[in-house]
Amino acid sequence: MNNSFARLIDGMNATLRSEVLSRLDDEFARGQVFGVINLLNTFKVRADWSAGFLLEQLAVQRTALDGVAALMQGRPEAATLPALPPPGVPASVPIAELLAQRDSANRAIGDLLGWLDAQRAQLPPQVAADIEHLLRTAMRSELAIELKNSPRPLFAEMSSGSED
Amino acid sequence: MTTLIDDTALAPKIADYLTTQLGHAVTVGAVRRFPVGFSWLTYAVPVTGIDGTDATQELILRLGPDYGLFAPYSAGPQVLSMQSLEGSAVPVPRAYWSSEDPSILGAPFMFCEKVSGDAVVPWVSASEPGLEEGYRKRLAEQFIDALAALHCVPWQSKPVAAMAHGITAENAALRNVEYWESQIARWALRPYPQAEWGLRWLKAHCPVAPRVAIVHGDYRTGNFLEQGGRITAILDWELVHLGDPHEDLGWASLPMYMGGSKLICRLAEPDWFYARYAEKAGFEVSMRSVRYYQALSLLKLAATHMAAARCFEEGRFNDMRMPAMGSQIATCLRQMEKTIEAAP
Repeated sequence: MNNSFARLIDGMNATLRSEVLSRLDDEFARGQVFGVINLLNTFKVRADWSAGFLLEQLAVQRTALDGVAALMQGRPEAATLPALPPPGVPASVPIAELLAQRDSANRAIGDLLGWLDAQRAQLPPQVAADIEHLLRTAMRSELAIELKNSPRPLFAEMSSGSED
Repeated sequence: MTTLIDDTALAPKIADYLTTQLGHAVTVGAVRRFPVGFSWLTYAVPVTGIDGTDATQELILRLGPDYGLFAPYSAGPQVLSMQSLEGSAVPVPRAYWSSEDPSILGAPFMFCEKVSGDAVVPWVSASEPGLEEGYRKRLAEQFIDALAALHCVPWQSKPVAAMAHGITAENAALRNVEYWESQIARWALRPYPQAEWGLRWLKAHCPVAPRVAIVHGDYRTGNFLEQGGRITAILDWELVHLGDPHEDLGWASLPMYMGGSKLICRLAEPDWFYARYAEKAGFEVSMRSVRYYQALSLLKLAATHMAAARCFEEGRFNDMRMPAMGSQIATCLRQMEKTIEAAP
């Protein structure tokens, strides 16, 4: 894609509002469109192009660049080659792996909450309180990040198929 | 196995079913689906010949597809509760025919009376002006009185008693929490430790109910019809159950139904709401229990959003409002935590 992710989202929103909603009389269908707009707003603040998609593109480019470099190796014309990006796999973690790590950590926090409930009587009170504080801070922080990256929901528009 | 509902194919199936039930032929016009609801589908169904004449009567069909939120569904609770409320001070549509057999219309269903009126939207923008004062007050009185009347129904002698399953004032809260714990376990796409923390708190702080009552389960603006300032029907009984009446108070008083105002369901000043309700229901409202059920209600709402996210993720259906709902889980869990922290 040649455009930025955010600009495309803006364009889709504008099209849905000006070209689709303006021609749509059915309440249910209008509610669906507002649902789509709501999600697009979420994508705009949270998403970007897929890392996997980009890594695939990078691999294809790398094959070409490395291939050229190999062909030119030892030849006098190599001195005139433009500077090439350094070889190597980008130091990037696939999004799916990040999601799996998040879920694994959340599962561990949930398990720790159960463990703390069971062990609280045996633990020194301050230690139990410190553990609880750590767990709750982590849970609260994760929600805060979620909320910071959430657009205003369009429930009224999705229910009624119209907006102010 | 997901069975998609083909709206265009419903009319002949409905005609066949009603013809069998009535013992004489009827014709069914074009069914019209309402945009409301995220679980049961609601249709207006014009039927000619119900009374043997050529008159056309519009019925409401509620259909519970096996791909909706918290599916599979049963028509039973709605039908039993609506039948139990016939002749009471709670305005409900009259329930007619129902069946759990998906071979008839593709899903469990119920037909009921179509009541005139419009729904008051609970979700409005901050710039939306409030309801006209006299109108608001009239609706608020009826809204409170109908809820109090619901909680005073002697259900033990009504069809809804079939849903009791040993419930008591002492175990009502814990059973409720355990039910929602099972729903979260079934529907959440990923672990939510904040929900687990909430469940643990709720289990450790269960209140005793002042009585076991019929609980609507989704009592709020948007789930009743009004016409000319008169509430004509309380709708959406799919979450009805027996339990602590404080649960409906907690649900109705959630901030998301205040529409940017300080009024419960955009209708009633909180102090007046609880005082009038207490007078009509005949017991003292425990604000400790109200806050407990507000916390549980926020967890229920989070669970509903979790179910919406899963329904969409698994391709059960493509209602674009589902993933939009799913993006609100964090909001509900954060408010639940704040509510619990504010508890005495």
